[in-house]
Amino acid sequence: MAITPIGGLAPRTRATSSARQRRRARAGYLFIAPALLLYLVFFIYPFFVSVYYSFLDWPGAGPQRFVGLENYQRLFSDRILFQALGNNLIWVVIGTIAPLVLGLLLGALLWRGVRGMVVFRTIYFLPVILSEVVIAIIWNWIYHPLFGALNQVLRAVGLGEIARGWLGDPQTALMALLVTAIWAYFGFCFVVIMAGLQDINLDLVEAATIDGANGWQRFRFVLLPELRHVVTMLTALTLIGGFNVFGIVFVMTQGGPGTATQVIATYTYRTAFQESNIGYGATLSLVMTAITLAASYAFIRLRERGEE
Amino acid sequence: MAATTTTPQASHTRVNSQLALRLLQYTLLIVFALICLVPLFWVLSSSLKNTREIAMNAFGPPVVFRWENYVEAWTVGRFSRYFNNSVIVTVPIVLASVFFSALAGYGLARFPLPGGKVVFYLFLLGLMVPFQSIMIPLFYLLRDVGFLGTYWAMIVPSVALGLPFGIFFMRAFFLRQPQELAEAAEIDGAGEWNVFWNIMLPLALPGLATLAVFQFMGAWNSFLLPLIYMQKEELRPLILGLMFFRSRYTQNIPLTMAGAVIAMLPIVLMYITFQRKFIQGMTAGAVKG
Repeated sequence: MAITPIGGLAPRTRATSSARQRRRARAGYLFIAPALLLYLVFFIYPFFVSVYYSFLDWPGAGPQRFVGLENYQRLFSDRILFQALGNNLIWVVIGTIAPLVLGLLLGALLWRGVRGMVVFRTIYFLPVILSEVVIAIIWNWIYHPLFGALNQVLRAVGLGEIARGWLGDPQTALMALLVTAIWAYFGFCFVVIMAGLQDINLDLVEAATIDGANGWQRFRFVLLPELRHVVTMLTALTLIGGFNVFGIVFVMTQGGPGTATQVIATYTYRTAFQESNIGYGATLSLVMTAITLAASYAFIRLRERGEE
Repeated sequence: MAATTTTPQASHTRVNSQLALRLLQYTLLIVFALICLVPLFWVLSSSLKNTREIAMNAFGPPVVFRWENYVEAWTVGRFSRYFNNSVIVTVPIVLASVFFSALAGYGLARFPLPGGKVVFYLFLLGLMVPFQSIMIPLFYLLRDVGFLGTYWAMIVPSVALGLPFGIFFMRAFFLRQPQELAEAAEIDGAGEWNVFWNIMLPLALPGLATLAVFQFMGAWNSFLLPLIYMQKEELRPLILGLMFFRSRYTQNIPLTMAGAVIAMLPIVLMYITFQRKFIQGMTAGAVKG
């Protein structure tokens, strides 16, 4: 606080200072009020309504039938949900490891910076700023069974028999989507890792060099431990992103063929808005929320432990 | 010192290995740059061919530049309409979310608030839960307040969704700023609003700009939200219009590609101009936490 008591405070001063406190608190709340109001009405309130909906059997119109925990019981025998969660898990594992490894690999080679770095950084980050729909259109085109770049390249190098409709084949559809996601995301990991490398104290590296560590050893034993914080952060972000992935899947395959690439976000959307099952859709959205919150919580704890 | 003791041969190998490293570095850098750029080049070149030319020559640059694809997408494909819609919703979303975030971030950073912790954690929750957690009831809420079928159905929820990140970002920004200036002005008798509006907000301009760029990107690229709440064809923003266009004209690859270029051009131009701000905004959560 701005006012520091000097010696024994006279009662009058104390009274005015607490009046000042109150005035300042009121001012503070006036600053927060517009945001808080908007946020309470259009975020917090609907969040609780979601919980309420999850106890209903309701097609979105007409009478709402209260069914207790029925929607929650249904989760445990829902095979599409299991498949979707399995796909999310694959997505999280591969979609986290691949861009991180790519980012670290490039970081290891470039940590001291090279001429033209800014240009390359700009190019690598370019896919990150593109809309999911644009990314989906680009990659649908690459995977196009007839004209697609991938098949044309395969045919050109004599691997024509591998060529296929990559998104139409249940065996390859999920991987094809993942490649797209990794393409769109690795630049983000790269830029964050490079920013982390910039913060590292170069004296440490000097010392290791004098001790005779080679380039790889310097990266592995000096830089990588210093990057621990950045890597945890990226892992958490990709993890949460992997459970929430929607746009790329929705536009490229709609969760198909069949349910081969269904993930929980597309399944929730389908249930609520295409099958008009509001109650079960809300329940699925809460499953998603619970997973995301658990991941966020675990990550926050992990960070706290890392900072001790 | 080291140079005098090493034999010419050893220094040669040093130079060679330096050279090899440089070569490896640039090879990798260029390979990855091509991986990023070549797909975008295909989009651009396909948008300037016709369907027959694509079938015959999918990779190469267009022989004749068919700009008429863009004219057709813009008029017949109604991308001019979608473009206007995007501008109409994006501008108020960015302005309102940045302004409200600055206000609240300032309030949280500078005032001793009873219950401030609760407010803080309430906003923190918004940073962690996915949009899906409110997506379904929000539809009925927007319908009941009469926003559905108007631009408000996208503007209002987008502002609300942008608040948690914006408030944390601005709060952190105001916390880092020196407090002496504000305190001095207060002692001189300036009111709280004056201190904020005339002193602290102008000082926060770099932060506001970064946040604005971040929110612009979110609003421009927003997809799931308008997919649910902007179902009327004449209200569709560019990204959504592009998606429906693509599913309606699956055979017409050149027009779809022209539409994709129209949809990404504004954001790419913004990105090239404000590159640092984009990267700052996008990585703010990851680098500083």
